[in-house]
Amino acid sequence: MTAVYVYGLVGADAQLPEDLTGLGPSGKVSTVVHGDVAAIIGDVPPDRPLGTRDDLLAHEAVVDTVAVRTAVLPMRFPAVVEEDGVVDELLAPHHDRFVAALSELAGRVQYTLKGRYEQDVVLREVLQENPEVQQLQAEIRDLPEDATYHQRLRLGELVVGDLEERRDAEAEQLVQQLEPFAVGVVVHNPGQPDDVVNAAFLVEQERAQEFEDAVEQQGERLHGRARLRLLGPLAPYDFVPGDEEQ
Amino acid sequence: MTVATQRQGGGGGGYVDRGGGGSSSLADVVELILDRGLVIDVFVRVSLVGIEILTVDARIVVASVDTYLRFAEATNRLDLYAKGGKDLPGLVEGMTEGGARGKTSGALDAAVDKVGDMLSSGREEREREEAPRRRPRQTRAREREE
Repeated sequence: MTAVYVYGLVGADAQLPEDLTGLGPSGKVSTVVHGDVAAIIGDVPPDRPLGTRDDLLAHEAVVDTVAVRTAVLPMRFPAVVEEDGVVDELLAPHHDRFVAALSELAGRVQYTLKGRYEQDVVLREVLQENPEVQQLQAEIRDLPEDATYHQRLRLGELVVGDLEERRDAEAEQLVQQLEPFAVGVVVHNPGQPDDVVNAAFLVEQERAQEFEDAVEQQGERLHGRARLRLLGPLAPYDFVPGDEEQ
Repeated sequence: MTVATQRQGGGGGGYVDRGGGGSSSLADVVELILDRGLVIDVFVRVSLVGIEILTVDARIVVASVDTYLRFAEATNRLDLYAKGGKDLPGLVEGMTEGGARGKTSGALDAAVDKVGDMLSSGREEREREEAPRRRPRQTRAREREE
């Protein structure tokens, strides 16, 4: 019984880039074709659990490198199946659904936009514009930490709340500005209070340059207050059709 | 393969950092690929194949005590009158100089009092430590205000 790692699915006629490096010991990546759909597969490390840093990076690199060239349905990490199962259990039973999903994604790539405030700049805004924060900061900033634990906690809570209000407005504006260049948007909750935005955009490859230019404009607009980071083009991780059914 | 990761957005301004396509940081990758992507029942049987999955704890703490304390500390590091504050540095300077010279206009006096009250205790503490020579002058200024 051999285990096979599945990176994602592509159309049967898709040509894989030549220099893909998989996470298995051989590093090889190939396809198994069934009807109109193909699975991108590779070997699995036999002697260790999956989930190392290199495994994650290899999975992403394979899927995203393919995504630039052809529509790909990324598998959720980590996807391992018995060798016989690739066709019998994965491709054959879901063939039509995969074909439909791939045709929906044809010519489209994902971009993920993130951003982080320049902390001192925005904290200074909060301090200047929020009287409650200002007063509390003035009261405790030069007192010993031990004596002001609860006040500091309260100060942090106020600051975080203020930051989150600011960034929600900021994120909404960013998405509004960029939405016209995309065919789909998924907005995630940014992880940290000083994260400005975390949104995935599904973009027609024909309009990719337009989209990137629009992001650049937003970056320029926010220059000095926040730094935007654009990941992509990527596989459509956030736009896998039918994902919500699972 | 040359993924277009380094390509600048049009205009080449470089206001946006780029990543992805095999050049992402681990944190980005974890966020991108964990809990995203296609799931098929068949993969539930992963454990039968004898593959374990190391837990990658990508959960991000959104609001916690640590977060609050971290932002409180960052806020406390800010010196509203050191630089960059709207007009406040000027007012504070005006407070010491104006107080010493007695030439401040009424409007500015009012503003100075307000700022002084708001910020007084901490500032005095620090100045005592850092610049003891200035203390008499500072005291004079205070007395005059009162």
